[in-house]
Amino acid sequence: MLEIRELTRRFGDNTAVDHVSFEVPVGQMTGFVGGNGAGKTTTMRMVMGVLGIDEGEVLWHGRPITRLDRRTFGYMPEERGLYPKQPILDQLVYIAQLKGLERVAARTQVTELLERFGLGERTKDHLEKLSLGNQQRVQIIASVLPRPAALILDEPFSGLDPRAVDSMVDLLREYTSDGIPVLFSSHQLDLVERLCDRLVVLSHGRRVAAGTVTELRDAGVPRFRLVLGGDAGWVRDQRGLEVLDLDGATALVEVHHDGAEQRLVAEATSRGDVHEFVRVRPALSEIYREATA
Amino acid sequence: MSTDKNSEPAWLLVTRREVVSRITDKSFLFGTAFMVVLIAGFIGFTAWQDERTDRVTLAATPDAVAMATAIEEGAPQVDEKVEVTLLEVDDREAAETALTEDEADAWLHPVDGGWQLTSESSERGSLTDVAGVVVRQQVLSDNAAAAGTTVEALEAGSTVTTDFLRGDAEKAGVADAVGFVFVFLFYFAALVFGMQLASSVIEEKQSRIVEIIAAAIPLRHLLAGKVLGNTALAMIQLLVYLAVGLVGLSFTPYKSYVPALSGPTAWFIGFFLAGFIALACLWAVAGSLASRTEDLQSTSTPLTMLMLVMFFGGLSLDGRGQVIASFVPPVSAVVMPKRILAGGVEWWEPLLALGLLAAFAAVTVWIGERLYRRALLQTGGRVSLRQAWATAE
Repeated sequence: MLEIRELTRRFGDNTAVDHVSFEVPVGQMTGFVGGNGAGKTTTMRMVMGVLGIDEGEVLWHGRPITRLDRRTFGYMPEERGLYPKQPILDQLVYIAQLKGLERVAARTQVTELLERFGLGERTKDHLEKLSLGNQQRVQIIASVLPRPAALILDEPFSGLDPRAVDSMVDLLREYTSDGIPVLFSSHQLDLVERLCDRLVVLSHGRRVAAGTVTELRDAGVPRFRLVLGGDAGWVRDQRGLEVLDLDGATALVEVHHDGAEQRLVAEATSRGDVHEFVRVRPALSEIYREATA
Repeated sequence: MSTDKNSEPAWLLVTRREVVSRITDKSFLFGTAFMVVLIAGFIGFTAWQDERTDRVTLAATPDAVAMATAIEEGAPQVDEKVEVTLLEVDDREAAETALTEDEADAWLHPVDGGWQLTSESSERGSLTDVAGVVVRQQVLSDNAAAAGTTVEALEAGSTVTTDFLRGDAEKAGVADAVGFVFVFLFYFAALVFGMQLASSVIEEKQSRIVEIIAAAIPLRHLLAGKVLGNTALAMIQLLVYLAVGLVGLSFTPYKSYVPALSGPTAWFIGFFLAGFIALACLWAVAGSLASRTEDLQSTSTPLTMLMLVMFFGGLSLDGRGQVIASFVPPVSAVVMPKRILAGGVEWWEPLLALGLLAAFAAVTVWIGERLYRRALLQTGGRVSLRQAWATAE
């Protein structure tokens, strides 16, 4: 498990990351969301040791992380680019060797990955000769070399076409099912919701929410929607509830006292038909908006 | 994953990538081949120029035939590579026609108080030199006879010869020429490879591949690999140029100088190595301070200035200034080899200068490493030296 504890980084007077703590459990995908300048990239760069840490620490399997640990991590920086004028096989082998892989093993692994991403025929091509989508694929391969112990990916899906997103997702799922912790940042909340087991929300350098998607959606004040056979106006008079929205036979209520929702159902059935009574969980985007507001 | 035991050290991997990616680059190979052809061609041309006999045709009207004949006969004694043929013409008009139709290279005729060589539009230097000497001798001896004395009597005690207490007068000319070549080669290599190094640093910084590399290996190794790789390339290129130059020279009349040049050349290689490493680290810093290729122009200005100072200092300094500069790094990298060439250097002087240069290189490597490491991962615009130095990692 990767643990981030009270991580802090200042740039002059500006505290870019302010005592941020969260966990990236083994075998889970953790989504890292937050607006521009929220501190996601700075946090990831500190985790990768690319940027110095002012306060706090990063733990790997319960002990402070070392350079050698980081060397086994896969990392995709925010801005992309490799060597434009070098054949893709050569530069990927170079990166794998820098990460400590022996030459022959590096070659085998890179060739396998290139074939998997449909680039097996183009190993000798210079990176700049490839289409943008294929360049992204090479970038993905670079970040998962060698078979990583953990993955730290900064906006891995930005700029990918839907097919590349799918193969990226497949690849990530493969890693998590092997027990590898994955942390990735993204602006695409729908994607985060679809993929992530856990979520960390950052705003202005602070962690404002963290947990599994279900935990987060259940965390707020419970809301229920009630659809009746007749007019729902009487709901306003019920105690322990706040009516957020009322439209003819439909009411949206927030429960402020435990059990108030049970009394509401009882009252409704005694008054006539109840077509629908359902717990409304906010969409991730709503939680995100509230948390970062 | 395999362990670190059987894998190469990171700096060596970086060095190899630098060398391989450059050496397989067509523009690098083409540039090197072009320089080799240029050097060989220049040496060949100089040798040919020196060897060939200069044949000139001199037109003379009847009033100048006697003097022209004297020039024709006297030419080989003045310059054995000049052969003058006499063309007798009737008058001025015929002489001018001969010039315009390229039958003659020059027309000799008396003017008030002397003689004149008229050419169509450009003079033949060799003819002018020979004619000047012969005419002077001829006229002097006539005048001396008229005054009742001899040329020898008139010229007695009037010669000035040169001699050096230290060094070898005969070698001085060759030393000057080779010294220029040394200074130029250093300037050229330091500028070309320095720029290349700086832009490859920017390439890595701009594309953020440096973050992937920084997460994998210490940046110290990246810098060391890049500096060593480019130094190796510059050295290979330099050795090729020097070898072509010295081998070429051994086919020319100057071949007797080759043994005398090899000692200073060996020293030059040593000074080049230390000087290049010192500057390479600074070039890497210039690259790391920029955030885009466009910034390199401004971040490298102090360095290009330094290069110019070294170039012109190396060429123009003499006397006490040269002696002092030959110990001051990094200028000593070009000035000391020049002094060694000229001769008259004590045995300890090059050693001391090389030691100082190596110490200077060690300092720039240390400072360069700190600046490079700090500036490299800073994004968002140009980084100032002060920022880079003071910033936390």
